[in-house]
Amino acid sequence: MTAPVDSTPYVQVENLVARYGNRTILDGVSLTARRGEITVILGASGCGKSTLLRHIVGLLTPASGRVLINGQDIHRVSEDEQEAILRKIGMSFQAGALFNSMTLEDNVALPIIEHLGADQATARTLARMKLALVGLERAASSLPSEISGGMKKRAAVARALALDPELLLFDELSAGLDPVTARELDELVLRLKAQLGVVIIIVTHELSSIQMIADQAIMLHAGKVIAAGPLAEIRAMDQPQVRAFFDRQPRPVTMQRGLLDTLLVDGR
Amino acid sequence: MLFGKVILDKRGRFFSLQLRSEPLCRKDFSQELPSRERNDAEPLKLTVLTPTRTTEGLSLSALREQVLEHTEAGSRVVLDFTAIPQLSSLEAATLLRLVIEGKEKGIEVRFSGLSEDARQAFTGLEANLLNETAATSEDLSPVEEVGEQTLELVAAGQRLLELVGELAYWLAIAPWHGKGIKWDRTFEQIVKIGVEGVPIVTFLSFLIGAVLSLNGASQLRQFGAAIYIANLVGVSMTREMAPLITAIIVAGRSGSAITAELGTMVVSEEVDAMRTMALNPGRFLLLPRVLALLCAVPCLTILSNLAGIFGGYWVGVILLGLGSRNYLQQTAQSLLIGDLVTGMVKSVVFALLIGLVSCYRGFYVRGGAEGVGTNTTASVVTSIVLCILADAVFTTIFFYLE
Repeated sequence: MTAPVDSTPYVQVENLVARYGNRTILDGVSLTARRGEITVILGASGCGKSTLLRHIVGLLTPASGRVLINGQDIHRVSEDEQEAILRKIGMSFQAGALFNSMTLEDNVALPIIEHLGADQATARTLARMKLALVGLERAASSLPSEISGGMKKRAAVARALALDPELLLFDELSAGLDPVTARELDELVLRLKAQLGVVIIIVTHELSSIQMIADQAIMLHAGKVIAAGPLAEIRAMDQPQVRAFFDRQPRPVTMQRGLLDTLLVDGR
Repeated sequence: MLFGKVILDKRGRFFSLQLRSEPLCRKDFSQELPSRERNDAEPLKLTVLTPTRTTEGLSLSALREQVLEHTEAGSRVVLDFTAIPQLSSLEAATLLRLVIEGKEKGIEVRFSGLSEDARQAFTGLEANLLNETAATSEDLSPVEEVGEQTLELVAAGQRLLELVGELAYWLAIAPWHGKGIKWDRTFEQIVKIGVEGVPIVTFLSFLIGAVLSLNGASQLRQFGAAIYIANLVGVSMTREMAPLITAIIVAGRSGSAITAELGTMVVSEEVDAMRTMALNPGRFLLLPRVLALLCAVPCLTILSNLAGIFGGYWVGVILLGLGSRNYLQQTAQSLLIGDLVTGMVKSVVFALLIGLVSCYRGFYVRGGAEGVGTNTTASVVTSIVLCILADAVFTTIFFYLE
């Protein structure tokens, strides 16, 4: 089930530096993703994974460095060109970010109507097909507030697929889903990769999911890339944070014994 | 609680023990103090406190008072926990605060006799906690405060200008590039803002017209000029009251709704999601709302004019016994086109102000549900203040123009 890998990179992140005020979130991050390849971004919570995705899709402007999508710098093109790039990108957010006032069907149909110029009825049909891909065909006329968190996440994936994108970005794809649904989503992702040769970048923590879908991975720690390359290589690395992640080692609870002893007159 | 004062000699043996209450557990601390301190030339002032646990818990506040209020600076307080096998994490945290606050007063607070269980309560203790000072608030000096506020104001002004630019772009430039105005969304908003606002605007304007009429009547009747109530109501409604009342109602009804809706969309990342779908929020959210206001507010103002004049007419004819035909004729004669135009110009400006303020407040919501609430309040207040300010400016200008 391997699609031919196009050797020209589709996404190129070069030395990206991101800051919120004085805090540096990303410090010189680089990433390359090609067609027919699944890239997984790993790392502990709060290490800047979502920030990286937001930069790739142009929501945030980097302090320095650049992001090339199919050779075009998404932060320095004209508004029209950026729109053209974005039309080829589908993104799902952590919490779904569905339009709360619209049914799932209308959520998925919106980009279809706006960008493909389809009429309502056609757009709805297509939307139902996309929802069926993630197993939500029955919930098509529900409002986001009426469905569970996992369903919202799947609906967001369906919406990301609406325009048959060339680049898919998933933020925490399988987090919080039941094992069966998570597995189904993983298989959907593999199918998309095989059939359409889509570029897929996923932020995830789920070891089983990573194992199943990742072609290559980058691991972030404190805003820096500490490991990058094919998954097998990363798994074999000795880098302590990488080991801790894959072996699920807890960080030691910071009980600084010595410190408490300084407060005792009868320390041991 | 038991406590006593122990004075140690050079070699670390205590040579006097002052007890304030029952005898303290008699302990020779010389073995427990580090040797460095035993060799100090100065006698070390040492207070030993033995906290006890009652049914109400550990006597922490008494302990705290004893340590911070009744101990000389430069001395050491040892809290002996031999009698207390367990501590809760809150008690541990309180004790750590005592160490920190003691340090600032030059009192060294130390523990002894902590059991293994009690030590567990201190899990999570790290160096930064102990180096913290008692006053942790980051108060700015008044000058910094003013500077901060000014910068914030400048930034807000910039963002507001950006919004105006965005609005102008999507209204006037983008439609020539194949990105037309979203009329369906605009129409949806017109229904929400305009059509659904009809009953309240009508009702309140009717009341205002009636009240104006009654107030006028008590004065004008003295001169036998009651018929001039028609002039009073007609002119003040069209020039002043109708636009202002409508603006205030719309700001409260729809301005708040716009801010809350957009703010919630920002908070739940819906606006970001739109951007990633190449659906520009300026085109899909901002312009339809401002256009809808620009259309609905003047229409509501016309309605308000009619309802207000009818309110005056109703009072005039039914309560004051003025002739129906007379009243209407008088109204028609007194109203000039200029009065109506003045009111309409005002209402368009008010609509623009409400639209910009409520969208601005919505798009720049920060900090979740609370942020939505704060910005919604601010949106309504700012809109109303700006509308009344603009009204004052306009009225002054029109006054000198005529």
